[in-house]
Amino acid sequence: MSNKNLFLKSAFVRAPLQNGVGRYVCQLQRIVLKFCKSHGASRGIRDFIEQDLVDFSRQNPGVVVYLKPRRHRGPVLVAEYLNGDRVWMSVHNKTHSEITKWMEVLRTQQGDVAGARLKKYQYTDYPSVQGPWTPFTFKDPELNVATLPDPKFGANNRLSVSATEKLRLMFEKQKISEKDMKIGE
Amino acid sequence: MAMIRAGLQRLASVFSSQGGILSRLITQNAPSQNTTVPNTTKDVIATCNKLIEERSSRNFAIVHLLGKQWRVTDGDLLVVEGYWPPNIGDKITLDKVLLAATKDFSLIGRPLVQPGLVTVTATIISKGLSHTRTHFKKKRRKQYMRINFQRAQQTILRINSVEIANRINEAPNNVF
Repeated sequence: MSNKNLFLKSAFVRAPLQNGVGRYVCQLQRIVLKFCKSHGASRGIRDFIEQDLVDFSRQNPGVVVYLKPRRHRGPVLVAEYLNGDRVWMSVHNKTHSEITKWMEVLRTQQGDVAGARLKKYQYTDYPSVQGPWTPFTFKDPELNVATLPDPKFGANNRLSVSATEKLRLMFEKQKISEKDMKIGE
Repeated sequence: MAMIRAGLQRLASVFSSQGGILSRLITQNAPSQNTTVPNTTKDVIATCNKLIEERSSRNFAIVHLLGKQWRVTDGDLLVVEGYWPPNIGDKITLDKVLLAATKDFSLIGRPLVQPGLVTVTATIISKGLSHTRTHFKKKRRKQYMRINFQRAQQTILRINSVEIANRINEAPNNVF
């Protein structure tokens, strides 16, 4: 499937607020865990809350964690980021370890990264330092002072050697070798 | 005979001289004490060292990272795909530098620029998953259709600095 047929936004790689230039700031601002206290689909998220959630919030003092119990509704993770993105994710029937992994993904990404296809995998403010290449880069500067038309620069040296030329070359070679023979004698 | 002789001489010059075709096979770590450096070369190296000291222009480097080559300069963002252990907030140095250059000169590694001469530092700023890529296969009239979805891990890197030390002519100090 080609990219033009995808109903998906495309984007260039950016980082909010020059993140990482001076210091690094974790981009996850707030995470809401919605779950049911009795329903089986929330089993994994309940395990996560009982065992790992306190450690998670201790290790990430910059992240606000909300718990939202609600009766007989599916379990959901909602992450909000410093650039305003909001990522909604259903964790219906997900196990404890799967939820641990998804929490890690939500914590480490810098926004709704998956919401757009990246057009380029690199971003630079300075695309060229030594100047962009032109056909005259690395060419002999002799050309600058030559008066055109000049047989030296205008010569078509892209043609292959013709049969006549080959014969002439052979003839010349033969003449040279004959001369050498005579000198040797 | 004359032609053959001339050809032989040319061959000999190709193999023996420093700047011949085979110069790329001469290693960068060859002992440089015995060879006398011509004055023009010394001037060039001194000028380059001075340019580095003055920080007259922006540096860039070509680094090798997870099987790909990236042209990096200060403040660049790179996206690396696939599993890669560094986590967010980590500061790392990219050591496989294939080429380092400023506006006026380039240091070309064979294959790597000598260790310790160029330092490229980077910060990991994001580790997420890419958009969902669809792999759709279909063969007409053959009752064959497959559809797969996959998401790759994406790590975003910020290049903090590309620094060249002003010790171009010093003997390499192999740290690895």
